Amino acid sequence: MVPITGAKGRSEEIMARPKLQLRIAQSPVLRYCLAVLCVSVALGGALLIESLQLHNITLFLFAIAVAAWYGGTGAAVLALLLSCICFAHFFVEPSHSIPYFILLALFAWLVSWFSSVRRRVEAELLAERTQQVSLLNLTHDSLFVRNMDFIITYWNLGAQELYGWTPEDAFGKNSNQLLQTVFPAPLEDIHAELLRAGRWEGELKRTTARGTTVVVAARYALRRDEQARPVAILETSNDITQRKRREEEIQRLNQELAKGSMELEAINKELEAFAYSVSHDLRAPLRHVAGFTELLQKRVSSVVDEKSNRYLAMILDSAKRMGNLIDDLLAFSRIGRAETQKTLFSLTQLVREAVAEVRQDAEGRNIAWKVGALPDFYGDRSMLRLVLINLISNAVKFTRTRAQAEIEIGCADGNSDDLVVFVRDNGVGFDMKYVNKLFGVFQRLHDSDAFEGTGIGLATAQRIIHRHGGKIWAEGVVDGGATFYFSTPIPRGHLWKPGTN
Amino acid sequence: MEARNKLGRILLVEDDPKDVELTLTALEEYNLANEVIVVRDGEEALEYLYSRGKFKTRSSDNPSVMLLDLKLPKVDGLEVLKQIKSEEKLRMVPVVVLTSSKEEKDMVASYRLGVNAYVVKPVDFHEFVNAIKELGIFWAVINQPPPGSVRK
Repeated sequence: MVPITGAKGRSEEIMARPKLQLRIAQSPVLRYCLAVLCVSVALGGALLIESLQLHNITLFLFAIAVAAWYGGTGAAVLALLLSCICFAHFFVEPSHSIPYFILLALFAWLVSWFSSVRRRVEAELLAERTQQVSLLNLTHDSLFVRNMDFIITYWNLGAQELYGWTPEDAFGKNSNQLLQTVFPAPLEDIHAELLRAGRWEGELKRTTARGTTVVVAARYALRRDEQARPVAILETSNDITQRKRREEEIQRLNQELAKGSMELEAINKELEAFAYSVSHDLRAPLRHVAGFTELLQKRVSSVVDEKSNRYLAMILDSAKRMGNLIDDLLAFSRIGRAETQKTLFSLTQLVREAVAEVRQDAEGRNIAWKVGALPDFYGDRSMLRLVLINLISNAVKFTRTRAQAEIEIGCADGNSDDLVVFVRDNGVGFDMKYVNKLFGVFQRLHDSDAFEGTGIGLATAQRIIHRHGGKIWAEGVVDGGATFYFSTPIPRGHLWKPGTN
Repeated sequence: MEARNKLGRILLVEDDPKDVELTLTALEEYNLANEVIVVRDGEEALEYLYSRGKFKTRSSDNPSVMLLDLKLPKVDGLEVLKQIKSEEKLRMVPVVVLTSSKEEKDMVASYRLGVNAYVVKPVDFHEFVNAIKELGIFWAVINQPPPGSVRK
C-alpha cells in the first residue's frame, strides 16, 4: 500500500477495507530495477536448469510477467529486451531466436494489457470511493466509525467541525475518552441494546477539543462481518446544544411560572382567609358596639343631657360607617378574587339599566341625561354594571349642587384596538393635581359632609377595568365638571357595532 | 297573648355572650323569648339535639327552629349542620344560619347542606332587632313546625 498523506488518504484506507492491493511501483528507478532483477533471477534460474540439460523459456516469461505487473509498461519493455538478449546469448542460436522473441513480446504485451486493464478498474473503484468519502464529508452530521473497543477508525468533516478534533487527532483514539462522553444510561445497557437491536439512539454530553460542552443527539448503528460478529459502530450525531439550552430555558421558565402561580394562589388563599376573618371577626364587635349603644341610648336618653345623647348618636353613626367601610372593602376584595365571566352583551342596554338604578336615588333632581351610541361589549356583565353604576352615581352625586345637572354617557373615538367609554358631568369637578388619588382605596377628594361615600367606588371600578385588561382615567376642572373614561381592548375579530341609542 | 301560647322552642347556638345578649334582647322585645335554649358551641348543640351529656334528661321534642352561628368553638356551624341534616331524626328541624359573614362560600356550603334560611347579622342594631324579630315570628309563630317539635 502506498501511503497518501492527509486526511483524505487516510479515510480512503479505512473505507477501502485494506485488503492487499497490488499497486504499480511509483518510482521509475524502482520499476526498472524490478525489471532487471526479475530477468536476472530468471537468467540465473534458467542457467541452473540449463546445467541440468533442461531447455526452458518459462522462467523468462515469468520474469516479464512480474515486471509488467508490478513495474508497468516501461519495466515490461526493459524485461522483454533483457530476456531476448539473455535468451539469444545463452540459450539459442541468434538465427533461431526470432520465434522466441515473438513469443516473449506477445506475452509481455498480453501481461501489460491485463495489468493496465486492472489498473484502470482499480482507479475507477478508487475514484468512486473517494467520491463517497467526499460525499460523507458533505453532510452536516458528524459521522464516525469505531471498532468494538471504541477505537476510532473513520472520522468525517462533520465530526471535525463539531468536536474540533482532526482525523489525525481522532484516529486510533478511544472515542469515549477523546470526547469525554457522558452517557444517559450505563454503557453496558447501551451496548446490550445495540447488540440486540443493531441500533441505539440517545442524547450524549461531550467535550470538544475547544473545551466546550456539547449535547448531541446520537444514533449508533452496528456493523457485523460475514459471520455476524459485531465489528464496528457507525455513529451519526447532531449538535442539539442550542435546542437543549432553549428547552431547558423553557422548562426553567415554566417552573418559575408554576412556582409564581403557586405563590399567587397561596397569597390569594391568604387574602381569602383574611377577608373571611375580617368579615366575621371585625363585624361582630362592631355590632356589639352599635347594639349596646343603642340599648343604652334607649335606657338613658330621657335622663341624660343633650350632649350625651349627641355622643351616643355619634358612636352609632361611626359604628354604622365602619360597617359600611368593612362591607365595601370586602366587596372590593371579592372583585379581585372573583372569576370574570365574559360574554358579549349590549352596552346600551346595560347603561340603561344602570341609569335606571341610579335614578331611583335621584328623585326630584333635575338631570338632563344624554346617552350616545354604544357598541356591544365583551366582558363580565355584572362587573361592568358595577363600574357604570359607580361612575354614574358619582356623576349624580357631584352634580347635586347644580340646578340643571347634565350627565352624558358615550363612546369616545379611540384607536381601532380599544373601546373607550366616558361618563361626563357638569358637577363640582376636581383639581387635576389630585387625579392620582381618585382611584385609591378610601381616597376622597371632598369632605364627607358635602358628599357622602366610603371612597371605594372608583377603586372598585379601576380594579374591574384592570381585570378586563383596560385602563381608567379622569379629567376634571374645579367647579367645571368631570369626565371619567375607561377603555378595554376590543377582542380580535369583533366589529365595532353601535347599538341602538 | 295568643301568639305566646303557640311559641315554639328556639335553640340558639352562639358562642359570643354579647351576641347572645343582643339576640335575647331582640327576642324579648317582641316577647318571643319565652323558651330559648342557648348553647355555646357546636358540640353542645349536638349534645342537645341527641339528648346526650347534660341534656340527657331534656324533653324529647325538637326545637321549632335552631339559630346557628357558623364560627363556633370545637365543632363549627357547618359541621353541626352537616350532621343534623344527615340524621333521619333531626333532618326536619329547621335551621337558620345566623352569622356575621357575608362570604358567598359559607352561603353556598350552607345551602348545599340543606339549610332552611341564611341570615347575615346586620351591624345596625335596628336592622338586627328587625331581623331577629322577623325570624322569631316566622319560625316560632308562623311556620308550622315538623312533627316532633312541640309548641307551648
